[in-house]
Amino acid sequence: MTVFFRPHSLLVKLVWMTLAVLLSACSKKEAAPAQSAASATVVTAVTDDEKVLNVYNWSDYIADDTVKNFEAKYGVKVNYDVFDSNELVETKMLAGSSGYDIVVPSSQFMERQVKAGVFAKLDKSLLTNIGNLDPATLKQVAMYDPGNEHAIPYMWSTDGIGYNVDKVKKLIPDAPLDSWALIFDPKYAAKLKDCGISILDAPSDIRSIVLIYLGKDPNSQNPEDLKLAEAQLMKIRPYVRKINSSQYIEDLANGDLCVALGYNGDVLQARDRAFEAKNGINIAYVIPKEGSIVTIDTMVIPADAKHPKNAHLFMNYLMEPEVAAANSNKVNYANGNTASEAFLNESVKNDPAVYPTAEIKAKLTPELSVADDYNRLLTRTWTRFQTGK
Amino acid sequence: MKSRTAWFRLSSLVLGFAFLYIPILSLVVYSFNKSKLVTVWGGFSTQGYGKLFENTQILDAAGLSLRIAAINATGATILGTFAGIALARFGQFRGRTLLSGMTTAPLVMPDVITGLSLLLMFVAMEQALGWPAGRGMTTITIAHITLTLSYVTVIVQSRLASMDIALEEAAMDLGARPVKVFLLVTLPIIAPALASGWLLAFTISLDDMVIASFVSGPGSSTLPMVIYSKVRLGVSPDINALATIMVGLVTVGVLLTGYLMFRRDRLRQRDRQLSESLG
Repeated sequence: MTVFFRPHSLLVKLVWMTLAVLLSACSKKEAAPAQSAASATVVTAVTDDEKVLNVYNWSDYIADDTVKNFEAKYGVKVNYDVFDSNELVETKMLAGSSGYDIVVPSSQFMERQVKAGVFAKLDKSLLTNIGNLDPATLKQVAMYDPGNEHAIPYMWSTDGIGYNVDKVKKLIPDAPLDSWALIFDPKYAAKLKDCGISILDAPSDIRSIVLIYLGKDPNSQNPEDLKLAEAQLMKIRPYVRKINSSQYIEDLANGDLCVALGYNGDVLQARDRAFEAKNGINIAYVIPKEGSIVTIDTMVIPADAKHPKNAHLFMNYLMEPEVAAANSNKVNYANGNTASEAFLNESVKNDPAVYPTAEIKAKLTPELSVADDYNRLLTRTWTRFQTGK
Repeated sequence: MKSRTAWFRLSSLVLGFAFLYIPILSLVVYSFNKSKLVTVWGGFSTQGYGKLFENTQILDAAGLSLRIAAINATGATILGTFAGIALARFGQFRGRTLLSGMTTAPLVMPDVITGLSLLLMFVAMEQALGWPAGRGMTTITIAHITLTLSYVTVIVQSRLASMDIALEEAAMDLGARPVKVFLLVTLPIIAPALASGWLLAFTISLDDMVIASFVSGPGSSTLPMVIYSKVRLGVSPDINALATIMVGLVTVGVLLTGYLMFRRDRLRQRDRQLSESLG
């Protein structure tokens, strides 16, 4: 008996100790840390009683010190969380009481969620910096959120072509580098096959772009137009190596791909990494002259947000010219804030991959959401394209 | 003939180890990458490690993940042990099939379903009862216990099934009450199963991304969630650095337990020899 005695008392003690830890940890961690940067320079502003703000944004989508500066200026503690997919945000928004005060969904998703009534109407009297925004961008957002009642643009991005400058020039000396023909014309695609073509795994984006290439309305929901687009896509299917939405960043940077139909932020990422690695690979991004689609990420306040005033305060802060410029300088996305342009780095402002020329900008179309029936057709079309049958 | 089998054995050993460890090795190598994009080699540097210790987002997430994993493992082990004992020792009570089915259901349930249903339940509970107020560490821990409980139950149940019940009967014959039998006889014997159940629950919780992303709330991003969200701009070497440190710690831990067990075995062998020579 004495043999068993010692392990027994130790075990019992261990179980009780862990139980105690479990209980205390559970109860302690939930209390939000109320104390924060209580520095002398706190600016008085309209805030909620509880000086906490819960933000849910895309990962790596803000300058390093933006949140810190906001906390110091207004004495509001910010819990900053990040996500990587619109779908997850949508699940949390539709389930309700997410706990977040500001979320940043992309415009097409925001449109659906606004219709579902999960966002609060903005109090424009608290958003004094709204005049800094580009009216053209606001108008594009209004296509999803009529009257700009719920959403404020944060950053916007484009779809375009990322290409390996030297390899493409070597294979096709007279390549149409400013046209979707580089990918969608079988004549060119065939020559690029061995070097590698990658296309985004984003059915509605690609359908809109092919329609633009064919000179049709990019938001057309006519099944006949979809058939035309499919026929065009099938012509180049044998020459497409990959259909995906993230691997092409690394492949471009490593020189494993010649041409990628991708998002501007991703292609710029590949360009900068290749440049840093000094591997002799030269990547460029172009928005073809036929035009392209633009995606706007928007800031919204959930209807059940506990700190709506803090949320308005943060939104307004992000619209300050210097703050918006600092964010764009860091993440290489255009911000739709006209007043911020004076504070942008030259390298960002003059980069047509980030801020397209006025001529190209006029040809950018927001992509509207489609009816369920059409969506089903689109999904089937896309499956046929992916499998190549 | 003999040399041929030796060659076969050697090559399968090498290939097997290569399959298991080359990914980990490449992870360690790339943690010394200078480029910000993991797979693009930009020269040797230790700045990934420097950046890691400045990156409070990743460090906070790692701390949170470890805390959740430890609490979850403890909770799941306690509850799983109870369930395992009920299933192995309490005979054919009413609802036994239901209990055994229900405890093992999370094993086969897709994570997405578990995550979504828990999210909906937590939201409904918050509206009806006011608890849990919002989502965060508590809800992630509860969700993980739901998931890992079944693993512990299965381990404990099978250990109890293979344990000689005569030991418990003997203790009861000698006058011990059931609780005392459990604490003095059963528990020490199944302790290794509890330890492995705890470790398994800990690992599963540390790994889980899907369920945690559903039931997390403001300020409670676990490490896998943060790493996964970085995919958009490419995984940076500081994450490799963190993984390398973890691999290092695990290696030290495994070596240490291996050494301790080896020493205990040798001590036991010596004791046995001693008693035999005395007898």
